[in-house]
Amino acid sequence: MRTTIADSKDYRGTVHKLSRDIISDWLGQLQAATKTDTKSAYLMVSGNCVEILRCFDILPTFPEINALQLAIRKNSLPYIIKAEEIGYASDNCAYVKADIGYTLDGGIGEDGTIPKPDLIVCNFVGCNVYIKWFEHCAEIMDVPLVMLDIPFLREDEPSKEDTQYVITQLKELIAKCEDLTGKKFDMDRLREHLAYSARAEQGWAKAKNLCKARPAPYDAYFDAINMMGPINALRGTKEAADFFDAAVEQYEHIVEQGLGVVDDERFRIVVEGPPPYPYYRNFRGLFEAWGAVAVQSTYSTVGGTWENGFCHDPERPLESIAEQMIIHNLCNRSMIERYKQIHQYITDWHADALVIHSVKSCRLFSAGQGDMREHFIRDLGIPTLMVESDLEDPRYYAEAQLKNRIDAFFEALTYKRLRSTAAAEAAAAAATQGD
Amino acid sequence: MSHAAGIDVGSTQTKAVIVDIEGRIVSRTLIDTGANVRRAGQRALDVMMEEADVERSRIGFVVGTGYGRYKIEAGDTQVTEISCHARGAHTLFPGTRTVIDMGGQDTKAIKIGEDGDVIDFCMNDKCAAGTGRFLTGAAEVLGLTLDEIGPISLKGTKPVRLTSVCTVFVESDILSYLAQKRKIEDILCGVHQAIASRTISLVRRTGIEEEVTFTGGVARNTGMIHALEEKLGVTLNVSDDSQYTGALGAALYALDHVRAGQQKAAS
Amino acid sequence: MTIDEIVLHSRSLLDMKPSQVIKKTQETYPNVRGFAVFPVYAPHEIIHAAGLMPVGLYGAGDQLEITHADSRFQSFICSIAKSTLELFLADEMDGFVGIAFSSICDVARNLASVVSRNTEGIYVEYLHLPQNMASEQSQTYTRSEYERFRRKLAEHVGRPITDAAISESLKLYNEQRRLIRAIYAYRQDHPGSISAAELTCITKAGTRMMPGDYLTILKDVMEQLPQRPAHARDTVRVVVEGAFCEQPPIELIEAIEAAGCEIRDDDMMLGWRLFTGDVSEQGDPLTALANAYLNESVYCSTRHDYYHPRTEGLLARVRDSGAKAVLFTPAKFCEPALLDYVLFKRCLDDKGVPHLKLEFEEKMWTFEAPRTEVETFAESMLFD
Repeated sequence: MRTTIADSKDYRGTVHKLSRDIISDWLGQLQAATKTDTKSAYLMVSGNCVEILRCFDILPTFPEINALQLAIRKNSLPYIIKAEEIGYASDNCAYVKADIGYTLDGGIGEDGTIPKPDLIVCNFVGCNVYIKWFEHCAEIMDVPLVMLDIPFLREDEPSKEDTQYVITQLKELIAKCEDLTGKKFDMDRLREHLAYSARAEQGWAKAKNLCKARPAPYDAYFDAINMMGPINALRGTKEAADFFDAAVEQYEHIVEQGLGVVDDERFRIVVEGPPPYPYYRNFRGLFEAWGAVAVQSTYSTVGGTWENGFCHDPERPLESIAEQMIIHNLCNRSMIERYKQIHQYITDWHADALVIHSVKSCRLFSAGQGDMREHFIRDLGIPTLMVESDLEDPRYYAEAQLKNRIDAFFEALTYKRLRSTAAAEAAAAAATQGD
Repeated sequence: MSHAAGIDVGSTQTKAVIVDIEGRIVSRTLIDTGANVRRAGQRALDVMMEEADVERSRIGFVVGTGYGRYKIEAGDTQVTEISCHARGAHTLFPGTRTVIDMGGQDTKAIKIGEDGDVIDFCMNDKCAAGTGRFLTGAAEVLGLTLDEIGPISLKGTKPVRLTSVCTVFVESDILSYLAQKRKIEDILCGVHQAIASRTISLVRRTGIEEEVTFTGGVARNTGMIHALEEKLGVTLNVSDDSQYTGALGAALYALDHVRAGQQKAAS
Repeated sequence: MTIDEIVLHSRSLLDMKPSQVIKKTQETYPNVRGFAVFPVYAPHEIIHAAGLMPVGLYGAGDQLEITHADSRFQSFICSIAKSTLELFLADEMDGFVGIAFSSICDVARNLASVVSRNTEGIYVEYLHLPQNMASEQSQTYTRSEYERFRRKLAEHVGRPITDAAISESLKLYNEQRRLIRAIYAYRQDHPGSISAAELTCITKAGTRMMPGDYLTILKDVMEQLPQRPAHARDTVRVVVEGAFCEQPPIELIEAIEAAGCEIRDDDMMLGWRLFTGDVSEQGDPLTALANAYLNESVYCSTRHDYYHPRTEGLLARVRDSGAKAVLFTPAKFCEPALLDYVLFKRCLDDKGVPHLKLEFEEKMWTFEAPRTEVETFAESMLFD
């Protein structure tokens, strides 16, 4: 029986390998670009406009992904401490600290793994910390910054001024890119990249929807990062589009065979909040021990909520980029919208419970999650567990405390299920007697 | 195979209970956990067996709980202290719907159903503010023992206001009040009220439904009982056996297994 | 009123809960209702033109016990978020039509959702103030955001908010800002004539009065200042920076002054005095307000302005005020202030300007530790 993926490399299918291959390839390009004069630019993952950079052959780099990789390789702490030494507070976002620490340590630039950017594109979509983060990068590395101010989605739809504001700024970005590269902007080339984006996005939506199957073919929280890299960092390329075609095919096959991510899928959960990257496998193990599988997650939609059917439209290039940045990503939407999103996931993906992983670093996610818990338990009657640690700082991960709470939660669900089964059996027995 | 045992290995103390087939407590013990968690469980079991004159072979199942539960070699399985406290409290006071458990590092609020199962629970944030540790800190600064501070706090008439219930700040807060010549009973009254407020906001997350049973090491503190009752406006169930609540719950879970085994054998 | 009486009166207003503020105001203005905003910038003129009283929330200090809000917001969230929610959950916001949050930080944004989910009959607005001051579209966008606010607010008060009404309010607030600037300037020229603690009481209390009445008070202060003896002491001249949102306890400011610092300039209650000059009283008032925010704002940690970095702003403030050092007073867990500290520290170190960081919490009641720190800091500068 295969109940702990954490101990074995025995993933079903090869999606994780395909993902690792194309991401390694991209990281290789970044490494190579440190030694050449290839142009590169910083972007934020969420609601990004990477397709525009591709039109100028500007290599996109993402400080978030840098921070994430440092953490998942268990390398983040020394860089966090380095940043704290120059004045960052213990209460500041550790993604920022790890990335800045890495920069100060020479990780960015000629002798590092990531090229020093020629441009910093601040598409902060909802995350105000990102404004500071990119200001700091611009100041420390002396790189020009372009602000893409994306109005938060504060009504059902953005106003026409909201959209126009973003489109104008995109045009101003395009002009900056033309200056930087000396290349002329080509709208047809943008359409081509957007067509690749749309193909990847449709694949994403299909793959996410396949987790409605029981058992789910992959874990939509822990395994979703295999799709998040390609959709967020490599979107707009043929490689990413092909990756999603292959991933969907494999997941469909797994579903047809009736296989699950674990042999015995006992609990279907929806997970809210980013994972603890420094203890990724350990954390996963705490859920797998109970046969709990994530069938949906909000974190996987920071880049885009494509499962709702939106995708980039080559016929409306700048408009659809603007719409994606304003409307169709988790970060630029309110907490109340997130409650609705989660509730829809629980209903449509047939989940038993909600698990909130509250991370100290990211207040965009975490501020107010106590209210979310309240809403799901009190108003909707959905069993909800909230646990705390961090996405980057290993000092905030307390395994014993987490395990205790996770175990207690699933114990309670188990006994609840036992009782309802017993009650059903008793009722059935009574009915038979009555005949 | 007519008995079952529960062992609750906490960070400072290990508690254990043996019940007979009817669920009656036949023996219980409390020892210091010490450095060797693994051995503490076994030691507690040995002490109890000797006191109750129960041989090991008669104990059909052992459930471990508490932070050290995975290290108990004698344990047949583990159940979290959250489930165990709920079950134990429900056994001691069958009308219990809300359990407030206050220990050294954790404060828990548990909402339980009519049959004693956990409906919802909430624990303090990762930060240890407002747990028993805060009381220990306060007692230390004042040069008192943990047993003394509760009764003294009851004499307070003008409770002081604290910056926070952060264990890091308790010392400087108290020293400042001492410098201002505030009475010790007023300082302690303020300390207990601050923790009570914090605890109540935790209990609000699960909902306060009567009866409310107060368990854990701090449940022996009369000052805390008083402060909680005053803020909640309800009378708390407090058992003299309150420290054993978790171990009792664990023993009852163990008893489920013993009974299930007997049923299987019978059929 | 004399300045002493004004300070006393101000303190009594600061100790009131928002619902009490409205009740008290209704003694003079029957039926007036309140609309809450944070100390950071908000277009107060639009609120006032709707016939409402804009009321500043700056943290409830030790006036309010947090018993509901910390089940919604975790231990690592700043006090002002919790106390604001607590005010609503504890029914201390009677008499208010609504509250407006803006795009200052991630916590304020989520707080807007949480407040709206936990209240009934309260209009909760989230304003996306621009973070790009330099786009061709910035002005149109900003104006449209104010227009949206005007439209929605009008729906909630059940009557239109006219350009003429906004223009009238604009004049009132222009005069208010002008007087506050003048008092700050007078104090710089006459150290000791009014302490920073006194002045902060007055600026904070101004957010709890009808603007017309507040003008009378500011004029009284301005008139009487010359009668107050300026007494120059052997002090270190400092700029206080980092308390643009949640406000430090007045006692902390007193402790800083008692420890031998003269506060030359600061960013407390900055949103209510954000502009460097008058907002244009000509033409469309919403366009004028948009232009002022985009082009005539003092630097502020919640406002990104690529072409006018905040580090330059701070250095200019130090220079212009004749300060010799900077005291950073971020609220505990205030992400924008704590992040800005890093770049501020960097540039001050670079220019050799001494600085000290003092985090505060709204519930703090003992100020001996910060006082000792500031005293040591001041001594190290005076004996240098």
